[in-house]
Amino acid sequence: MDRRIVFILVALAVIIPMLLSINLPVSVSEPTQKFYDYVESLPAGSTIMVAFDYGPSSLAELNPMAKALLKQCFDKDIRVIAITLVVDAPTLASALIQEVAAEKGAVDGEDYVFLGFRPGAVQVILGMGTDIASVYDTDYNGTAISEIPMMQDITNYDQIDLLVDFASSDTVESWIIYANVQYNQKIAAGVTGVIIAQMFPYLQTEQLVGLLSGILGAAEYENLVGAPDKGMQWINVESFVHLLIVGLVIIGNITYFIMRREE
Amino acid sequence: MKRQVPLVLCFVFGIVMIFTQFSPHSFSQGIYEEVISWALIIGPFALVLATVTLIQTHTARIRRRTEHWQYSFVVFAGLIIMVLIGIPFKPQNSVFEWLYNNVQLPMDATMFSLLAFFIASAAYRAFRARTFEASLLLITALIVMMGNVPVGDLLSNDTASKARQWILDNPNLSARRGIILGVSLGVISQSIRIILGIERSYLGGGD
Repeated sequence: MDRRIVFILVALAVIIPMLLSINLPVSVSEPTQKFYDYVESLPAGSTIMVAFDYGPSSLAELNPMAKALLKQCFDKDIRVIAITLVVDAPTLASALIQEVAAEKGAVDGEDYVFLGFRPGAVQVILGMGTDIASVYDTDYNGTAISEIPMMQDITNYDQIDLLVDFASSDTVESWIIYANVQYNQKIAAGVTGVIIAQMFPYLQTEQLVGLLSGILGAAEYENLVGAPDKGMQWINVESFVHLLIVGLVIIGNITYFIMRREE
Repeated sequence: MKRQVPLVLCFVFGIVMIFTQFSPHSFSQGIYEEVISWALIIGPFALVLATVTLIQTHTARIRRRTEHWQYSFVVFAGLIIMVLIGIPFKPQNSVFEWLYNNVQLPMDATMFSLLAFFIASAAYRAFRARTFEASLLLITALIVMMGNVPVGDLLSNDTASKARQWILDNPNLSARRGIILGVSLGVISQSIRIILGIERSYLGGGD
């Protein structure tokens, strides 16, 4: 089969389900349920640090899960400190936080704060273990940390109830090594599908309290939060692309065996 | 002198930082906190170094007229425009945000999306049950793929997602743990070699 036909089939498998807006039922996996339950168990007034460690290329997979978590936090009056270790993430993270905050009526500086980006991932993680203000002296908008109301009683990880890393690379492992092992910080993660396999040892050792896996994790979380959005929409599209690839692999193997028998 | 001073610094800081991990004494922890704040200052230099290297690489490409050298001008244009807007007006500036949302974001997303087309084509061409190992890999991949989407559960009465979870929780976890232990032992031995000055490639020169 010509590769151009494969490309056309993939395009059709993406476009058709989008136009038909098919809704397949999504069950919830154990790692996602653990993540959700941990956040639900936090009382109002708790603080979650959210690290937006991904760039525009992984936005489609990770933005929906970050959005669902922010909605859950603002609904439960959980305060959010957002940061990023990735240089091209601040603009997308800032836009997403502002969008959800506007929808939920959350107030900048009281319900959430976005601290932005600082270079040197490991140094930033370690530095915040001692004093967050030593790493971030201002927030993303340039307001001094000392002038932000919700930061008045937050010095370091001791006041952070959960750290959530939304990641498309190995930053989750850096958070585990330097924040969990060094400072006993509770961590949960939401990662892209391609790196999900390497997260499972940390889930088993409970160094991760929960884990969201790619667009499926986003759909599951939206389901739990009760706010179906892009995750639910895109997992249906992905279903058809996966079906197509499985079909192509089976056809390819049947052709291979027929040709081998003829030889 | 150019080599001895970095070697001595590396040895002293390596030993001191290991010591701080085993001593909860306030003096030891004070040293740890001080060195971390130094590291925070050193971190941004990596960005400067990366920018300088990028400029040097693309200047050389243009000067030597290597293949596709014209694209290096696009690199410089992007770099200069974003720096000229980003540094004086901050990334919150509307022009900076417009360029990010309408140039960088769609380009990055497009590059990543193209992978789906190539993966589909590669899977069709290369995923063959030629040997027992290849067949095992093929079957595992198909189960994980179907377990990763709701349609898999719909067709298999929830078996696909359970099978996927078992694969990730057992064979995958075991293999990953083995890799993590191997890498960790390698990191420890390499760190000892660097601290003791046996491994010196970080000084340049390759010895």
